[in-house]
Amino acid sequence: MTDTSAKLSGGEPVIRLIGLGETGVKLVETLAMIGPEGVESHTLDTDNRSLSRCHQSQTMLLGQAIPCGLGTGGDVALARAAVESDRDRLAKLVEGANLVFVIAGMGGGTGTGAAPLVARLAKEAGALVVGVAATPFDCEGTRRCNQATGGLRDLKQASDVVFHFSNQDVVSMTGAETSLNSALDIANRHLCESVLGVSRMLLEPGLLNVSFGDLQSAVQGRQSLGSVVHVEGSGEGRAAAAVENMLAHPAARGGAALQEASAILVHLSGGEQLSLAEMNTVTEAIKQHASAVDLVVGASGPGRDEALQVTVVIAHQVKLTEVEPDLSAPIDSQSSEVANVSFPETFMPSGETSYVGLGEDSGGSRRGGFAYTPPAPTAEAITPELKDSLLEAAARQEPDRKKRKKITQEMLPLEIVSKGRFEKSEPTIHKGEDLDQPTYIRRGMVLN
Amino acid sequence: MSDTQIIVGLEIGTSKVCVAVGEVSDNQVVNIIGLGQSKSRGVRKGEIVDASLVEEDVRNAIVEAEHMADVEIRSVFLGVTGSHMRGFNNTGVHPVVSADREITDTDIQDVIRNAKAINLPSDHSVVHVIRQHFSVDGQDGVLNPEGMLGAKIEVDVHVVSGRYNRLQNPIRLVSGLHLEVDNIAFNGLASSLALLSTEQKELGTLVIDLGAGTTEYAIYSAGVIKHTGVLAVGGDHVSNDLAYGLKVPLGRAEQLKIDHGSAIIDPEANNRSVDLSSDSVIPGKKINLGHLQMIMSMRLQETFELIAKDIEQAGLIDYLRAGVVLCGGGARTPYITRLARDVFNLPSAIGRSSTVSGIKNALDEPEFATPVGLIKFGAFQSQTAPRREGFGRAIRKQFASLFGGKK
Repeated sequence: MTDTSAKLSGGEPVIRLIGLGETGVKLVETLAMIGPEGVESHTLDTDNRSLSRCHQSQTMLLGQAIPCGLGTGGDVALARAAVESDRDRLAKLVEGANLVFVIAGMGGGTGTGAAPLVARLAKEAGALVVGVAATPFDCEGTRRCNQATGGLRDLKQASDVVFHFSNQDVVSMTGAETSLNSALDIANRHLCESVLGVSRMLLEPGLLNVSFGDLQSAVQGRQSLGSVVHVEGSGEGRAAAAVENMLAHPAARGGAALQEASAILVHLSGGEQLSLAEMNTVTEAIKQHASAVDLVVGASGPGRDEALQVTVVIAHQVKLTEVEPDLSAPIDSQSSEVANVSFPETFMPSGETSYVGLGEDSGGSRRGGFAYTPPAPTAEAITPELKDSLLEAAARQEPDRKKRKKITQEMLPLEIVSKGRFEKSEPTIHKGEDLDQPTYIRRGMVLN
Repeated sequence: MSDTQIIVGLEIGTSKVCVAVGEVSDNQVVNIIGLGQSKSRGVRKGEIVDASLVEEDVRNAIVEAEHMADVEIRSVFLGVTGSHMRGFNNTGVHPVVSADREITDTDIQDVIRNAKAINLPSDHSVVHVIRQHFSVDGQDGVLNPEGMLGAKIEVDVHVVSGRYNRLQNPIRLVSGLHLEVDNIAFNGLASSLALLSTEQKELGTLVIDLGAGTTEYAIYSAGVIKHTGVLAVGGDHVSNDLAYGLKVPLGRAEQLKIDHGSAIIDPEANNRSVDLSSDSVIPGKKINLGHLQMIMSMRLQETFELIAKDIEQAGLIDYLRAGVVLCGGGARTPYITRLARDVFNLPSAIGRSSTVSGIKNALDEPEFATPVGLIKFGAFQSQTAPRREGFGRAIRKQFASLFGGKK
């Protein structure tokens, strides 16, 4: 599927959804049914039963040897062992992807244990990793909640950004009287919207494009929590309605989340009638809460005409890296017709596909710069030397890609945290952690 | 009146120096008659960093206690702590040599001596060796093997050790004040002595002393000490985190901790803020209560988690049927028992010194568990009748010989 779509669109980012554990499988299955074109869905579980219900996505049973398809029964260690035993297959699964969504429900065995490991594998394969995690209701028990907190922390460390939704939030949102079914529905819908919103933002042809690069510079290496707010407004003052919905959204926390954000991507889709005034209304509302952040605005043309859909990706920065100024955004927005071009070269899909694609549209696009662009040379044009140099260049391409990626890896924390009154005392080192430093800093919590 | 003995417990803590004076009657009933305390200025993480300041503070506290109890204090039982202290278990083995295979008192002394032969780093010395259980020819759980028949006798002991030099510092300081040090005791052990009833020790209890500079913990199960430990993290760290995170001076952070602190995050606190405008140093500053609680709760939770991990490694988490008992100044934090319950998955409560009588004030406050426990420790020590107490009371003979010098 990707092969063809990549061919047609000449280098759309390869997006993969990986659902882990029962919740993850359910979510990905739903997403696969309604999801946008050009997204690959994979469902992974240690439990055969939940996989057998999947029809839209590619399924894979984790840990054929250990839990034998019977599930982990909440045992995180078992899930980890299952992932380890299937490491090679998983590495193949994430290979060549640009953006991987790791979707899991935290608290159980498979989701909690496997999600951080899969995220790490994807990261090692060079993809931008977005974790999407649901955490349980408080009433599901302390053990499960603690397990979920630990899993979320691990996932956060392994991914670039984690979109987290706590089921407990639904309770505070709608009240305790809500039926369990509808509460779960709301939580699921929210998580699905996060994924859909982001993938739509990247894949829909845009008037003002929000590119993969924008997302990358907003979230890469942050190892932080982010959130996605996806709202609609319709009717007369649809922009105002959308803004109202946005602020009422639980993930926005009445605008507090915007205040804490370090980078915000906004994407509007409102059909033909999308007006500048509407864009203005939305961005102004965001700026009111977050005046000093990186704001990237995008808009797509076609869509359902009546409703204005606004997707806001909020990335919280843990003060580990410097925010790189987003230079690509304004350039992108001007060259909206050549939307595809704004996709950075580094994220070209590797392998034959890209070669084919390059051969097809080498006329004048930026990719003309690649070594292997010319159409098939005639027999006399190929001298042995030329052939060698071409092969060499082709061979070099793969490692080069990797090398360049290394440069964009996250940096080590440069900020030196003062230890206050313990400055001169003997440091309390426990398993390599300096306990004199505030816990909230070591755990990457954000205060605004 | 039968002759009563005066026993004094002295704790040189990170936030306060505390002296408790106890009257011990000859039937081992402890009665607290005096209490003295002063703010501690020369201690960090439970260890002395400025001897002259500490000397002054100790003197003040002693004087206060003398006034209150109307006695002259000549000797003290001194509590010690610090990150250098370790607790571990050891076993001693001894073959029974007598012809009739009857185990005699000499055999028992010998096996204990064997258990005390511990391979420690050269700069470490033993603070406590606490007898746990005997086993005779592989039969476990023997409480008193005297008179039993057997070929081989073994004993499990719990050993608390620390760096010799760092243990000597407070001893020397107290000796310099013309006070005799009767013996030293690990603070975590002392507070557990004050708080736990025999039943709690039998069922299995974890005692956590949340001090300002250090957090000590001790585990009792089946009536004996199973595990002890100390983390050089305490209330000072909470204040320091707050000072850093909220950007206020340390003293102010300390006050905020006391006035508005909480061990768990109140979801409604996020919208509330504390006005510091009345404060002349930082006029007009507002502090978000949600942040304050988050910083604090993360630190306390981490401390508990570290302890929980250690206990899990020691394989003792399932033996704590009587739950968790908290003491120390940190136990005053609102909702701290709820946090402990969530982290350990055990019932938890704030400890009271229920096994002694005397000044109510001294017994009900969680801060005074250590000095009160030191008195109990002293009462056990000065007990003349050997081993007639039954094993429910885990503290046995102390081996003070290592600190025989006590200059």
